[in-house]
Amino acid sequence: MWNIINFEVFRALKKKSFWIASVAPLVLILVVIGIEYLSTNNAATNAAQQAQAFSATAKIGEFDDSGLISQQLVAAQHITIEPSKDAGVTAVKSGELDAFFYYPKDPNVMNVEVYAADTGISFSPPYNAAATQLLRQSVINEVSTATKNNQAVQILETSPAVTAITYKNGAETEGIMGAIAPGIFVVAFVLLYVLLASFMISSTAGEKENRTAEMLLTSIKARTLITGKIVSIFILGLVQLATLAVPLLAVLLLFPHQIGLPAGITLGSIPLNFVPILFGALFFATGLLLFTALLVGFGAMFPSATEASRFIGVVIISAFLPIYAFQSVVNSPHTLIVTIFTYFPLTAPMTALIRNAVGSFSIGEALGSLAVIIAGAIVAVWFAVRAFRYGSMEYGRRVGIKELLR
Amino acid sequence: MREIAIAKNREYTCTMAAQSSVPAVDIQSFAMRFGPKEVVKDLSFTVNQGEVFGLLGANGAGKTTTIRTLLSLLEPTSGTLLVNGKRYTPAMAATVGYLPEERGLYRNEPVFDTMVYFGVMHGLSRSDAKKRVLLYLERVGLGDKTHERLIGLSNGQQQKIQLGVTILHEPSLMILDEPTEALDPVNRSLLMSIINEQRTNGATVILVTHRMEEVEQLCDRILLLKDGIRALYGTVDEVKNTFGTTVIALAYSGTLPTNEKLYAITKQLPHYAELAWREGVTADEILRSLARAPDLHLTSFDVRRPTLNEIFLTLYK
Repeated sequence: MWNIINFEVFRALKKKSFWIASVAPLVLILVVIGIEYLSTNNAATNAAQQAQAFSATAKIGEFDDSGLISQQLVAAQHITIEPSKDAGVTAVKSGELDAFFYYPKDPNVMNVEVYAADTGISFSPPYNAAATQLLRQSVINEVSTATKNNQAVQILETSPAVTAITYKNGAETEGIMGAIAPGIFVVAFVLLYVLLASFMISSTAGEKENRTAEMLLTSIKARTLITGKIVSIFILGLVQLATLAVPLLAVLLLFPHQIGLPAGITLGSIPLNFVPILFGALFFATGLLLFTALLVGFGAMFPSATEASRFIGVVIISAFLPIYAFQSVVNSPHTLIVTIFTYFPLTAPMTALIRNAVGSFSIGEALGSLAVIIAGAIVAVWFAVRAFRYGSMEYGRRVGIKELLR
Repeated sequence: MREIAIAKNREYTCTMAAQSSVPAVDIQSFAMRFGPKEVVKDLSFTVNQGEVFGLLGANGAGKTTTIRTLLSLLEPTSGTLLVNGKRYTPAMAATVGYLPEERGLYRNEPVFDTMVYFGVMHGLSRSDAKKRVLLYLERVGLGDKTHERLIGLSNGQQQKIQLGVTILHEPSLMILDEPTEALDPVNRSLLMSIINEQRTNGATVILVTHRMEEVEQLCDRILLLKDGIRALYGTVDEVKNTFGTTVIALAYSGTLPTNEKLYAITKQLPHYAELAWREGVTADEILRSLARAPDLHLTSFDVRRPTLNEIFLTLYK
């Protein structure tokens, strides 16, 4: 099998098209980051508008140890002053307040702390911006009266760091932060599936087009060949992920202030919870195996990769179907459609990855969905082996499913 | 290549001695049905160690199906098909060189990589495969194409690579399905010399073809399939003796007389004819009769057995 893996991997790595496909998403992401960096003002304006809207409607409390917060602004925005930090946190937990802002003695050194009710997944929670805006606006007033206040100048030059803790039903939740680590598997799955789909199909259709299948099948078992091809695709996928991830991580580590993650998130603050990461990895690997095996199998059924591509759109689209129902998958995980998506083999990987990332999976549901995906992957590998064994010698014609099952 | 061949020869000799009682190929009561269509019916034959065996038949006769089933690419409907006494599995790939009818290679990959890949697939170590590939490419005059992609080679050059992939591991059984199909004369000659070389080394060769001249040149025994049924089986001489009728081939000018007592004209062209003699008549009598014919000038008088091609055509009429 090593011979197959060696041949398949290196022949792909030697191709320009592989590297173009690998680097293209990175270039696109960097372009988007660049555009976002250049349009910081727009983003800031949007954040300010969201913050204003939040401040106007939400019940907000604050406690100020810095002495920088303008009492005038607090009163104008109907923000209550809590007797202590603990009292403010308790008020959020009990639902009396939507958000509580704690300003430490020196916001340039210590983080502004935000405690808020969990309102779901959002990369730009408005309470963070509202807390920052209150501080900055207060400082602007201060600077106008005492222009030599260095602390105030520094706050205006470098936006103070904000940490947010959210609560749901009195218990602390991780919000967007908790979704980041397991969410990486969602992104990786989508990227690899998009980048490797044509490779998956052509890995077997190519053998048929090149008329090499017969020679291979007399030299190696179909199961070994297909396994070797699937392992090769996984290795190439990891190479493509590394091509994307390494430069992005380098940029984020080298320029944490200039180009940061959304909502002021830093790499070090991302929680790494074992269970969701483990399930994310399992859903990613088994889901990718399922679709790789399916596409490899379909590739063997059709006379050419081009012809195969026309017919297997359904398989490809079904993987992404849960994304179209993203809101339901995230916010209403127990509706009928999401339940179907969770346990139907073709939609299960993406649904499971998303639900695992946003924390709407119980262990039982996760195990159930994983079992469905694993069973689907086993059937898909069996199908791929059979399709190659019996379909790859049918040159110039499509082999029907019925023929393969005979 | 020569050293490798000598070393391999010794292995062959030992293996052959050990397996001398086991046919290289043993097919008994083989039948194959695809849906309602029975493409091979109750086929039995053996191929002895070290012989060149011709598996003949028109397109659709069942030759390729038989070979594919022998190599376990297809499951037989019934019957047993054995290679060296066992059902073929890919684990036996080191002993078999198979050139399929539908053949090709990775057109976008370098020659060297492709050949090494298949060499390793056929049981060679990577380093051994690399050495053999270089020697083979030098031998067939493609030493300068080692790192070129196959798509950049001419058809003839690609055919040489294809042959190389089949014989690189010096198999003890070569199965060549229509090997000369689409080969140019240079490559056909190369293939013939390779088959002869392998045979001299002790390898068994199964030649699947419908080119009768190649069969007459190379094969010890033949089997002719017609509509999935064994129509002829034996040595070339046995087949000719059993199924052919000796004919007299004439080259002449003038008018060829008829003579119902001595012969019948079975084929006649302006200056060529074939005669079938009557029972009890000798060739001498016919020659004397023709020599006396007034308007006939004979340029050749050849008593010969029919060619395999003629037998083939007769069977398929």
